[in-house]
Amino acid sequence: MRILRFFITRIFLKRWILVLGMILLLFLANYLSFTTARSVISTFQGYQEIETLNQEGTFIANLDPDSKTENETINIDKTRKLYEYLDNHYTYALQVDGFVTSLENEHEMEVTFSYINEEAYKINQFSLSQGNHLTFNYQFNQETIPVLVGAGLATTYPVGSTIEITDPVTQQLVNLNVRGVLKENTHRSNFYAPNIKNYFNFSIFLPVNEEFIQRAGLDLHVNGLTDIALLDSTEDEAMNLKEHIQKNLGLELNFFNQQENFDYFEEYYVYSLKIICTIMFILLIIIVCLATWNNFTSIRLMKKDFTINLVVGLSYSKLRAIFYSYFGLLFSINLTLLIAITAFNRYGFWLRKESLYATYGIFGLLSMDWIALLIVLFIDLIIGVTIVELTLTKIKRIPISVGVLN
Amino acid sequence: MTSILKLEIQKKTFKKKCFSILHDFELEVEAGERLSIIGESGVGKTSLLNIMGLLDPHYHGSYKLFDSSVKDLSQNKLAEWRNRKIGFVLQESALIHSLTIEDNIKLPLLYAHLEKDPAAQDHFKRIITKIGIEPILKKKPLECSGGQRSRAVFARAVMMNPQIILSDEPTASLDSKNKENIINLLFDMNKEFNTTLITVTHDLDVANRHERIITLERNE
Repeated sequence: MRILRFFITRIFLKRWILVLGMILLLFLANYLSFTTARSVISTFQGYQEIETLNQEGTFIANLDPDSKTENETINIDKTRKLYEYLDNHYTYALQVDGFVTSLENEHEMEVTFSYINEEAYKINQFSLSQGNHLTFNYQFNQETIPVLVGAGLATTYPVGSTIEITDPVTQQLVNLNVRGVLKENTHRSNFYAPNIKNYFNFSIFLPVNEEFIQRAGLDLHVNGLTDIALLDSTEDEAMNLKEHIQKNLGLELNFFNQQENFDYFEEYYVYSLKIICTIMFILLIIIVCLATWNNFTSIRLMKKDFTINLVVGLSYSKLRAIFYSYFGLLFSINLTLLIAITAFNRYGFWLRKESLYATYGIFGLLSMDWIALLIVLFIDLIIGVTIVELTLTKIKRIPISVGVLN
Repeated sequence: MTSILKLEIQKKTFKKKCFSILHDFELEVEAGERLSIIGESGVGKTSLLNIMGLLDPHYHGSYKLFDSSVKDLSQNKLAEWRNRKIGFVLQESALIHSLTIEDNIKLPLLYAHLEKDPAAQDHFKRIITKIGIEPILKKKPLECSGGQRSRAVFARAVMMNPQIILSDEPTASLDSKNKENIINLLFDMNKEFNTTLITVTHDLDVANRHERIITLERNE
């Protein structure tokens, strides 16, 4: 320990600019691998969610990018009729998030409503930390509506409590009864961008039944349609619905079947992830080369320091241990920095009151962050071993008699 | 007299430069002996010193030091012997420039875990008093004269009271007064503690003051 301290304070830090350069290079390597690893993990987490929905016989709606629909032509009567048609002829899963409302809570966060129908609820199988699951057979405006609340609302609105609020989509005063609390960090990935997630820590899950749909406003109707999932359907049925929607609302929706959805994922995500990983790998190699060059420069400048220490009692095995400890220290600094930055980013969502992204966790970090950090740690090990062993080989080649007189 | 060092080298090869030196070289040194090695540049004087000083394990042959076969010793043991049993007196520039003279001299104590040892501190004071470098202890090597630096290198070499002192051109680049100082310090150590002295030098005056002179010749 004393020898390590001596080397760090009296030898390495005397060329602080090289140490700083090394920290920056290693941080760059860590940051690159961290963001790439997290992006890959997040995408595959989303993909797993998609897999549960994207079964055979499922057709998922997607607004055609070439659709030139003018929203003025869509009105509430038309969408109500369309949902009537849907209820009569199809089984469908519907979940619409992001309707913001003001509701007092201890964290003073904006609260969002997530409207979910029974089929979507069954498919997603959200876990609860307290209470019971939703029921869908309530009568709107005649009884309280059973809801689930996110973990962030559980203290203010515990199971059994009642919330009186103006529902953002029906614009009516409703009484909500808290039946259960969602587990911390319950989330849903965007179907066509699986690495983007909405977290429901400050959400209210409101069960949607046929009656509710008929009373809901245009926003819910249209947003619901654009990513509705037809279940147990056929190509013909999906095509019929597409035509029906186009004819009645002027909306051009595509209904992709299971294979098309997987193909889409393969084409847009797997391919781009491969590109990202390849670029990351190339950049990582360049950074490792630069870091090794930086270390070789240090060795050249400290040639005399090393050889004199070898003359008076340092062994190559101790020197190896010193280098491993030194790089361990540099990587620890970088990993701490990385955790701090990630934690600060996560905490930023709380500060900015962005309730759909505010998450719980140690230092605000999610499981995907920790897994990505583990991957970074593994990459650091490889980088560390590469640089230290190359450095030791270089030092061993220095003739002592030349080194001491350098 | 007992033999402290017995070296038999078949050859020392430099793979990169494709040549070899020290063909069939044999040397036996007794405890307390003063030996000097001379020879023209490139014959292998410094290489021989590196081998004897346990700094270079890459040679064909056998080496017995303090009755132990060097090739059987671990890297850490070799380092420990370099620290405790062998002192290296190198040229005056062989000091770490970022450290003070005091820290340079005390460097061997770091590896012997004796930095805070009172006996070691007393020994340090005795040495610096004897060689008269108290005023420069807090200075960096580049702030000192060549003679002062030479004495600092000597102080570092004797810091652990070694049984053997290996000197590589200890008087190179010194004026006659400083040269005399260093030689006297080395010989005093030899007389006072029966320290074995092996000196590589180009300087025949210096070589002639040793008990035995070995001349290395180029292999044909």
